[in-house]
Amino acid sequence: MTDSQKNEIYLSSSPHYTKGLSTTKIMLAVIIALLPECVYGVYLFGIKALVTILVSVASCVVFEVLFQKLCKRPCTISDCSAIVTGILLALVSPATVPVWIIILGALFAVVIAKGLFGGLGANVFNPALTGRAFMFISFPAVMGASWAEPFTDAVSSATILSKIKSVAFAADSSVYLDLFFGKRAGCIGETCILLILISFVFLLVLKVIDWRAPLGMVATVAVGTFITGLVKTGNCSAALSDVLLALLTGGLLFGATFMVTDYATTPVTKPGRFVFGIGCGLITFLIRTFGGYPEGVMFSILIMNAIAPFLNNLTVRKYGYGKKGHAKPAPKKIVQEFNIKDAKQEAAK
Amino acid sequence: MKIFTFKGGIYPPERKELSRDCPITDAFPSTKTVTIPVTMGGAPNTPLVKVGDIVAKGQKIAASDKFMSAPVHSSVAGTVKKIQNCMVTGNMEVPCIIIESDGSDRTDYMPPLDPFTCDEKDAIARIRDAGIVGMGGASFPTHVKLSPPPDKEIEYVLLNAAECEPYLTIDDRTMQEETEKVIDGLAIVLRLMGAEGIIALETNKDYIKPLLEKEIAAKGYGDDIKVALVKTKYPQGCEKNIVEAVLGREIPAGALPADAGTIIINVGTVCAISDAFRLGKPLIERSLTISGGACEKPCNLRVPVGTMIGDLIPEVFTLKAGATAKIISGGPMMGFAMTNAMFPVAKGTSGVIFLTKDETYLTDESPCIGCGGCVDACPMHLTPVMMVRELKAENYDGAKKFGLMDCIECGCCSYVCPANIRLVQRFRLGKAIVRQQMADAKAKAAAQSASKEGEKK
Repeated sequence: MTDSQKNEIYLSSSPHYTKGLSTTKIMLAVIIALLPECVYGVYLFGIKALVTILVSVASCVVFEVLFQKLCKRPCTISDCSAIVTGILLALVSPATVPVWIIILGALFAVVIAKGLFGGLGANVFNPALTGRAFMFISFPAVMGASWAEPFTDAVSSATILSKIKSVAFAADSSVYLDLFFGKRAGCIGETCILLILISFVFLLVLKVIDWRAPLGMVATVAVGTFITGLVKTGNCSAALSDVLLALLTGGLLFGATFMVTDYATTPVTKPGRFVFGIGCGLITFLIRTFGGYPEGVMFSILIMNAIAPFLNNLTVRKYGYGKKGHAKPAPKKIVQEFNIKDAKQEAAK
Repeated sequence: MKIFTFKGGIYPPERKELSRDCPITDAFPSTKTVTIPVTMGGAPNTPLVKVGDIVAKGQKIAASDKFMSAPVHSSVAGTVKKIQNCMVTGNMEVPCIIIESDGSDRTDYMPPLDPFTCDEKDAIARIRDAGIVGMGGASFPTHVKLSPPPDKEIEYVLLNAAECEPYLTIDDRTMQEETEKVIDGLAIVLRLMGAEGIIALETNKDYIKPLLEKEIAAKGYGDDIKVALVKTKYPQGCEKNIVEAVLGREIPAGALPADAGTIIINVGTVCAISDAFRLGKPLIERSLTISGGACEKPCNLRVPVGTMIGDLIPEVFTLKAGATAKIISGGPMMGFAMTNAMFPVAKGTSGVIFLTKDETYLTDESPCIGCGGCVDACPMHLTPVMMVRELKAENYDGAKKFGLMDCIECGCCSYVCPANIRLVQRFRLGKAIVRQQMADAKAKAAAQSASKEGEKK
């Protein structure tokens, strides 16, 4: 008998090594990235925002547990994905939304958009956005018609995006600054551009998200807005200020950071992600410019979610294959540093 | 100095410090018995000896007529005790020749041969007679590798000194302690191939570079052999990736490195080639790393081929009591988990790692969240997540489209997966199924054409 035979020996196919990542760790990183937006949302819109966030998170968690118990599925609440959905749902809702509506939204998000499709990873549509779409369409009076103004109890009838759409809107630099720091009416978490950018960089550095989809989306909206601005005014600087407004308002950057980077509902391949982002940007731009709604981020992402599985067919070239997918012919490229033979031949000449 | 690399890959903890500073020491099994597999690389051999025969060290004991085969030699002088099936790396039972040493040092080596003046055919025959196979793990017969088709010009010979598997330090030690042999062996290969040599060294071993360059200069090979530093990254030592990194070329899908004008050879293999010519000594010894968290004193050993790992415990190395969770033959990324330590060191065994529970992972799979981490990690630029989805749907054509058959089974995808999905493990299964399907289809077509011919008659 050798010592090793007294041990409990496990057998498995290689590799026998792991990085130690887990779904929970990734979700916790996203929650940390979302915290600044939550805090700032409460600072802007007061206790109502806090109530919305807490109710949303609590109902998402409760509904997930209940659903999994009901379906006799293993309870996966420890992966924290329900908490992420809850926070996202609250942050894309206005602070004025009644508590019972946010509970309904959470039910729709967790049970219908996620649970019924097979749970985490199997859902086709972004749960938080699906919940929001449900609230937005079912209760338009509270979800899109009135918005809380920051620091007051006053309720305004329009966000900047709807103002831009309806009346001539003149912006000066102080307006841009206010927009950048989020001092405007809007959903709880999507107003402060600065914080969203910080979250974006945080997630990018941790390699939780990929830059392709967000960049594709924002760039497409920017280019589209610039071209229409140029056509409308014929003035380059006016078109540029249009672009700036388009980027600073609405849910564009929030969506680009947290929604088009959602793992389960976006493509897994790099070219697929890029095209996904461009598609989201294009639809957002079309809805904003020509559509009936002032904002198009939510619908654009949900529409692109539907075609995300097909975008997975866009892959990079595999090693050892030519551009058309055939096996590569023998290459003739020689690395300069080791070009010994050529040097010798030249010397011989 | 440029540092070469490839796209994709992972950075696992190296844990080479466990055994990096331990010089290679000679070790002999406590039972004085070796268990030599009849076939180690290439086509199956048949034993040339029978039970009771007295053999000398270096005597040929198994061989095959096929070109694609390498003979096997006795690694000790003694008596053949048994010829029976034994468990070897991969948990397979294969025929082995069990020889008990008589303690003497009788040798039956070939006469030395000057590699630089002899006929090329004789040189290739010598490499074959010495039973040399790739010692990096794949055990591909070296004389076959060194006989590329005549239409393929070999421009570069890459000495693969990346040693990218965590824990393993045997190539590192060999290059430090046997620098002369390494350079000599590489020079012999260069002479045979008429090519230039590049030694690809990972940056975590950059302290060996001056040693190698000194030896190259001393032997006057300065024009023919260069040392290239490659990034410390897994799987840098994989043939396809090291060619991409160092030469900026890709080996075409389904082709050999010769199609990219290169051959890749392992450090241990060139040492064996040098011995085969200078000493006439066949490949009967193997250096390997013994390491892992459950190992009391990790070490680098030189043992006779056929040494049972279990026969080295506790005389040569000991294990922490009850700490071993996995016994790996090879490295932790691509090695085989064994049921126990009673398996012989073969020509391709570069290390045996005793992992504790903390070092390995036994977590269950959770659902795929589609993070795409495996796509970033894949050194072959495949789409592992889609391959698994297609395999689960039993859509093998879809899996092939995403690269199932191009998978090199390096394990990067499984390593990074946050859901601990056994990606590469599933690909091995998927590949086996596809190969079986292809074989079935071929057999069916053959049967059909045979029956058609029968009808004609």
